[in-house]
Amino acid sequence: MERRSLAASIFVYGAALVMSLVILAPVVWLFLMSISSSADLSARPLHWWPQEIDLSRYGELVSLVSNSAGEAFLASLRNSLFVSGLATCGALLVAIPSAWAVSRTPRVQWSLYGVIATYMLPPVSLAVPLYMGLAHLGLLNTITGLALVYLTILAPFATWLLKTGFDTIPQEIESAAMIDGARLDQTMRLVTLPLAAPVLATTALFAFLLAWDEFFYALLFTADQRAKTVTVAIADLAGGRVSDYGLIATGGILAALPPVLIGLIMQRAVISGLTTGGVKG
Amino acid sequence: MSTLEIDAVTKRFGALETLKGVDITLESGEFLVLLGPSGCGKSTLLNIIAGLLEPSGGDIRIDGRSMRKVHPKNRDIAMVFQSYALYPNLSVARNIGFGLEMRKVPKAEREVAIRKAAEILQIEPLLERKPAELSGGQRQRVAIGRALVRDPKVFLFDEPLSNLDAKLRTEMRTELKRLHQKLKATIVYVTHDQVEAMTLATRIAVMREGQVEQIGTPREIYDNPASIYVAGFMGSPPMNLVEGRISDDGTRFQAEGGGCDFPTPANAIGGLTPGRTVIAGFRPEQLFPTPPAEAKAVTMEVEVVEATGAETLVIGHIGEQTIIASVKPDQAPEPGETVRLNFAPGNIRWFDPESGRALPNE
Repeated sequence: MERRSLAASIFVYGAALVMSLVILAPVVWLFLMSISSSADLSARPLHWWPQEIDLSRYGELVSLVSNSAGEAFLASLRNSLFVSGLATCGALLVAIPSAWAVSRTPRVQWSLYGVIATYMLPPVSLAVPLYMGLAHLGLLNTITGLALVYLTILAPFATWLLKTGFDTIPQEIESAAMIDGARLDQTMRLVTLPLAAPVLATTALFAFLLAWDEFFYALLFTADQRAKTVTVAIADLAGGRVSDYGLIATGGILAALPPVLIGLIMQRAVISGLTTGGVKG
Repeated sequence: MSTLEIDAVTKRFGALETLKGVDITLESGEFLVLLGPSGCGKSTLLNIIAGLLEPSGGDIRIDGRSMRKVHPKNRDIAMVFQSYALYPNLSVARNIGFGLEMRKVPKAEREVAIRKAAEILQIEPLLERKPAELSGGQRQRVAIGRALVRDPKVFLFDEPLSNLDAKLRTEMRTELKRLHQKLKATIVYVTHDQVEAMTLATRIAVMREGQVEQIGTPREIYDNPASIYVAGFMGSPPMNLVEGRISDDGTRFQAEGGGCDFPTPANAIGGLTPGRTVIAGFRPEQLFPTPPAEAKAVTMEVEVVEATGAETLVIGHIGEQTIIASVKPDQAPEPGETVRLNFAPGNIRWFDPESGRALPNE
């Protein structure tokens, strides 16, 4: 490492500290809220640090008693998992061939810009046509329907990300496989996709997060426990006459757990994906 | 029947004509080097032979069979790429055996072939490793091994040594030569390195702007370059090219600006007519210092003296023109000196300065 003056060191560490505070503060506050008692949260002046730890809300939300808030919340978690998982798998299925095709055929790269252009449209402008379309197909308030809508968001995003990933894999390797006698599907399965694994993992994770965090379409296209996702469920917690901020915070913590777990599992692949030009675009 | 026929092959990329009609015929066991600077179309030609590109016109025939619209895997060729193009996720053994695996060769048979190739290339201890764990030279061997197991009609090499350092490059060059002598394989090899071309080839095709400028054995190309372009490309240092004029009586060549004056050769060269401007080409190693008492052909003012070990390069000018002489180290002059040089006139090549072509022997 190069030599650095004391002032510069203090500045660098100070900046890092500020940065981590900015990132972590809301998360920490969310967690503290979820374990504070209602009295602490409504006290004036506010008790930043809870006087007693109250874990009852976790029990309330993770409950299988029928017609309870817990049952509704768990159902929404399950819906979110299915919708996001389905949409992510679908997006990868669509994006892998199209990203590969665009990466290997510079002549048709303009088409990708077309796709990205549709991505620029604000979601609200598509809400009505999508609603009518889903209604026509009888897919309103279904997991499949919402997953289909998310697919339209995830597929362009995934294609773009994967294309930059495929770009980094030398074409000569595929030429070599072709001369060696591999069919296109064999080349993809044995050579290209294993090499693209880190980018695939990164793309899958980001696509999943995008679907998991989506709120607007989920609010419009779902009505009850059969399809309502966790973002909408959390909003519902705030909908009553008396809002229990602690309960909302608990919902937030629980909703964050699945993506965090998936992220941890795929951590190594994702990090190498991020560093090998996976997200250049 | 020839193993490989390149018949009037052309290639256009939009308005750009990369290959302007190439004809080469290759017999079995020949080692053809396509030599030229980058952008001359040599790699394009190799890719067309491999089937990675379709020619715009003309045809490739392997063993008499037209390769038009034939997929690379059905051409019975193997290719070694400049970047090695190994499969990083597969072991060395699987890399080598990949072509056989794709062709559904039984596992036992495959393993025998892999062992044999590994033995020839001395990479047996590396078979279980991944390409990332190998050095550049080892990766190169694996890439060659992958081509070897297939036992194809034609081997294609695309600048395979250019990613290696100088010492390894020389070693692998010898190795390739040995391999060719042993296997009697038919090889097309692309390079921009004229030393590689000279040492490896049984025939060299010097390419320029999408055309074959000259094709012949390394000796022919070195001794009798067909044009100024070939003369300047082959040999390091390259051939000296001195512009001058044939004297009015037609008996002497006199360099532009003086410093070089010698009788024209006795054997007739077409076009050495009195008063004509020509370019005389001679190799640096043909020049030797001559004592003051004897006749001199060249008077050179020395500027730089470069010792390279076995020989010393003397760089200087005659009149306005720069030339290089290669002399024995004990004969080397000092910079600033004026030296008298002579050579055997029979070894001089004559070029037409306008067309750049060599004047024909009559």
